[in-house]
Amino acid sequence: MNKMSAREQILNALRGNTRERYDMPDLSEISPIVYDDPVGQFIKKATTTAGAKLLEMEAGDSIDELVLLAYPEAKIIASNVKGVTAQLNPDTVETAQELASVDVGVIEGAIGVAENACVWIPQTMKEKAVCFASEYLVILLHKHDIVNNMHEAYARIEASDKYFQKYKFGTFISGPSKTADIESALVYGAQAARGVTVVLINN
Amino acid sequence: MSTRHSTYAEHYLQDNEVAERHDKTFFGVREKRDRMAHDLPEWEDLRKAADGIKRHTVTHLAEYLEQFEANAVKNGIHVHWAADSDEYNAIVLDILRSHAVKKVVKSKSMLTEECHLNESLEKNGMEVIETDLGERILQMMHLAPSHIVMPALHVHREQIGDCFREQIPGTSESDDPTYLTHVARLHLRKQFMEAGAGMTGANFGIAATGEVVVCTNEGNADMSTSIPKLHIVSMGIEKLIPDYRSMAVFQRLLARCGTGQETTVYTSHFRGPRPGGEMHIILVDNGRSQILGDADHWQTLKCMRCGACMNTCPVYRRSSGYSYTYFIPGPIGVNLGMLRDKDKYYDNVSACSLCCSCDNVCPVKVDLSTQIYRWRQELDSLGHSDPMKKFMSKRMAFLFNHPGVYTGTLRLAKAVNWMPKCLVNSKLNPWAYGHKMMKFPKNSFHRLWKKKKI
Repeated sequence: MNKMSAREQILNALRGNTRERYDMPDLSEISPIVYDDPVGQFIKKATTTAGAKLLEMEAGDSIDELVLLAYPEAKIIASNVKGVTAQLNPDTVETAQELASVDVGVIEGAIGVAENACVWIPQTMKEKAVCFASEYLVILLHKHDIVNNMHEAYARIEASDKYFQKYKFGTFISGPSKTADIESALVYGAQAARGVTVVLINN
Repeated sequence: MSTRHSTYAEHYLQDNEVAERHDKTFFGVREKRDRMAHDLPEWEDLRKAADGIKRHTVTHLAEYLEQFEANAVKNGIHVHWAADSDEYNAIVLDILRSHAVKKVVKSKSMLTEECHLNESLEKNGMEVIETDLGERILQMMHLAPSHIVMPALHVHREQIGDCFREQIPGTSESDDPTYLTHVARLHLRKQFMEAGAGMTGANFGIAATGEVVVCTNEGNADMSTSIPKLHIVSMGIEKLIPDYRSMAVFQRLLARCGTGQETTVYTSHFRGPRPGGEMHIILVDNGRSQILGDADHWQTLKCMRCGACMNTCPVYRRSSGYSYTYFIPGPIGVNLGMLRDKDKYYDNVSACSLCCSCDNVCPVKVDLSTQIYRWRQELDSLGHSDPMKKFMSKRMAFLFNHPGVYTGTLRLAKAVNWMPKCLVNSKLNPWAYGHKMMKFPKNSFHRLWKKKKI
């Protein structure tokens, strides 16, 4: 007789050892927090605990100018966003390593979350390294894409067929990379972006 | 008789300043967690839901694992199963060898610590680089983690500075945390660029979509998986949750409980390999399926490793992670250690004052202190009870069962007050060890009650 595969062994053990079974709880019993002004709450969280900068973009403003305003010393900009002037394009670079020298990455956010300043970044470029390896990050977000809490955000992701189609990755980002691993001192820029600017687009 | 925990703790407490700092640091995290809990009116509903979701998932785990596997495979992910740590280490080695990988970058994973993966890979000639800053510091200093979420908070900046100056060329004399973090950033950047594979753990696996979610503040899991083309995920089978609705509940609880933040900076969803890359998920049992059958302790499987029980535990805060003999310290570690090997890790069950604070902060309502209490009841049958305490308990049982003798003894107890201190507070009296012997009152509660004075 063949030795049982690890898969069968594990599944059999689980089935044999399951005693009482519990039903899935009714999650609609939770009434998650909502805000009178979700955009205001998002801005508050983004600029305080998340540690991001915030710029508002009105009709007629150019993204290039806002990027320059946020990071005037940037030399290498990487982006595949239409209308952004960039030296590198994460869709056309040969390797992810090429994005290591990027000063500012400009990317698009799809959902903003008021409770914690998370922005949902679906992967829309070949090399997602632009979201993490860039020294600084500019995230473009439409005001009308801001929701109250994570329940609403996940419901939107689930309901949409836009995400995970071409590229099988998405991430929530809330401000710059942080660490407090050395004596609890909060430091920005541990491994990924040292600073984040969210550009809120008015519609 | 002292347990190893109390012996190590006694040694640790010799340096009062270090001990006090440790206590304050982790209580600070606990206080931040409290503020997060108080800020959300639905907090207790979230905990109730998290408990319910985990109860449901772990008692339907075989079905959910099959669903998870089928969806992950559809997404183009290679799924492997490992019954124990040896199988797990062999699978990782095999994948890395088949890609001719020499260097691996790794984000923090308690499962890899549990299975001693790094040792296994290094023995086979591979270079393993931890990329979480705390873990990297410990790796360079050849130390083990002292906490599961904040593994290196017990190390001081001067020690880290010295370590970097010795091992990272060009590090200056400064011990400033911002400077040292920057040094580590540049050092790790180089590692990400050179590595042939990135390894991560999984905070959650989602059955309905066949994806894993990894949460970090530093972005190191993302750096590890954005540069190298090979991504290997190590996931304990209990990390599974059903769907996105469940994910929302856990995303909101994890960082709030663990570090007192509303969210981790990155909550990354991996649903398949990156373009031109390969993704593997290894589902690891290593004893978990057996825990499920344990009526008294199966609820440890609900744990999501947030670390809140350690931060609140007065014994952990005052004795530090290294006083425990299992690699996961604190209330959850006491229980997981016993489930791993009772005879090896029984010392840790003494590391609990039964204050039950851990039960009240646990986001998934693991009955941590009740479980520790149960283990203590088992110690005698395991042959690990303290003979002195057992002797005293038996005498006390006699006293409490004989009211006349009890009252008489209590009257005489006052005599202890007049005995020489050197005798009362000596090592002959185990109750006076570590603290002063109490002073017996003139009148007992019992007597005052009888005289109607209370």
